[in-house]
Amino acid sequence: MLSRPTTEQIILDCRHELLTTIDAAVDDPTVKVAIQMMENVLRNCAARAAHEIAWMRDETAAMVAFATDVAAAHPASTAVDAALAAYEAGRSESLHLDDVCATYDLAGRAMGAALEVVMAAGDDARHLTGRAILEERLAHENEIMGEWAFVGRA
Amino acid sequence: MFDASVMPERLASFLTRHDGAREATVVAYERMVGGYSRLMAWAEVHWSDGTHERVVLRGDPPPGQSMMETDRDLEWALLTALSAVDELAMPAARAYDATGEHLGTKCIVLDHVEGDSLQAVLNRVDPAHGYTDHARELVDTMARVHSIDLAPLHGVIEVPDDWDAYLGRLIDRFRQAEHGHVEANPFLLYVAAWLDAHRPPPLPLRLVHSDFQPANIMIAPTHDGGHEHQVIDWELAHVGDPREDLGYYNVYSSASGPNLFAADPEGFLARYRERTGFSEEAVNLDTMAYFSSLAAITVYAQVLGGAGAMAEGRNSGLMTTYTLNALTVGHNNFLAGCTPPPGGAA
Repeated sequence: MLSRPTTEQIILDCRHELLTTIDAAVDDPTVKVAIQMMENVLRNCAARAAHEIAWMRDETAAMVAFATDVAAAHPASTAVDAALAAYEAGRSESLHLDDVCATYDLAGRAMGAALEVVMAAGDDARHLTGRAILEERLAHENEIMGEWAFVGRA
Repeated sequence: MFDASVMPERLASFLTRHDGAREATVVAYERMVGGYSRLMAWAEVHWSDGTHERVVLRGDPPPGQSMMETDRDLEWALLTALSAVDELAMPAARAYDATGEHLGTKCIVLDHVEGDSLQAVLNRVDPAHGYTDHARELVDTMARVHSIDLAPLHGVIEVPDDWDAYLGRLIDRFRQAEHGHVEANPFLLYVAAWLDAHRPPPLPLRLVHSDFQPANIMIAPTHDGGHEHQVIDWELAHVGDPREDLGYYNVYSSASGPNLFAADPEGFLARYRERTGFSEEAVNLDTMAYFSSLAAITVYAQVLGGAGAMAEGRNSGLMTTYTLNALTVGHNNFLAGCTPPPGGAA
């Protein structure tokens, strides 16, 4: 396949065309708002295209490690055990996006179950560890979001 | 409403039938910018008795293209009930096409407010001059909503009678949103556990607007030359904890400013307490932070539902993809409101 220009570059080029050529030719205020929204969506897609597989793989590793640690520290946590078993049964090393998403989902379910266990147990140390993983996930979301506000609302 | 070219004739026919005595002619019809969840338009109407007026239409988007699913029948019933409440200024709800037979989609016709939204007004204010008067008026408007007698709403919307059970159900909506979504979202389970473990003192349950923000407050001129706030867009309104609106306002305005609470948090809350009679134990910076996390779930769950529907091929449309970022805004607010235990970051 042709890898250059990258998907990110192609999408950002479309965004540029949208803003410079199409927006300039439009007068309808409702369409102008739609163009602003599309600009934002294209920017989001460009950031995702550039990083999403790597980010999901990194987060998957962190979430599974966390859940595994919680399961070891709280032996009665059957929900975490079940979620980890589901992860092991369903995980894939494939880098196709749908496969990465499916593995990420399974890891996220183990993470969620583990967070519920540490919160219920008052396990502050692991609470902080889990929270740090959420903050890393949020940092990725924020990078995708970039500058964002409700356009057209006044 | 999906085809603007036929709307003048259809709307005129609908209004004429509804009025029963006069004939309506629609001389102008235009889609409006800014309605995120519903289709919005205004129309200029000339009546056969020589009067003329402008009305606003608020209708459902085409099936599968709505960023959130809410019930027009319920909204119409609520608007009708609220119209009888003297303490609350709002545009009169004029007519309702409950089937979409006349206007092409379920659609509510409202009086048009001759004035700007508070958001438009705030956008024109020089921040150097401050927002003190606007903050006071905003608080007073919110307090009025939260002071309404619930009696007219019985039989229209659910009126829970137990705060603790209500709060538990509200917190549980985080878990339900997570379990019902197409992929895991650990944020939601974390926030639900945190909110359950840090419940605030109770307050009396009141009418909650649920999307209380400046774009939903119209500044209408009054006969004495002054102005009043008219609150619009009641589609998510319910009876709940009034601090939900405080928290939601803070969350929304942090993403789409200016945030009139952040300018003077203590003053903002003090005026709210004065206007509502609520105690400082119940309304303070800590409970504001709590409800800034909790209150967003109503809108958040709707947006998440739209995202899930799109992932499953049941929904499409720019509004759904554009508002995905609102979920990230929600995650930021969830973590900001749910403070870590000692030993973590402040």
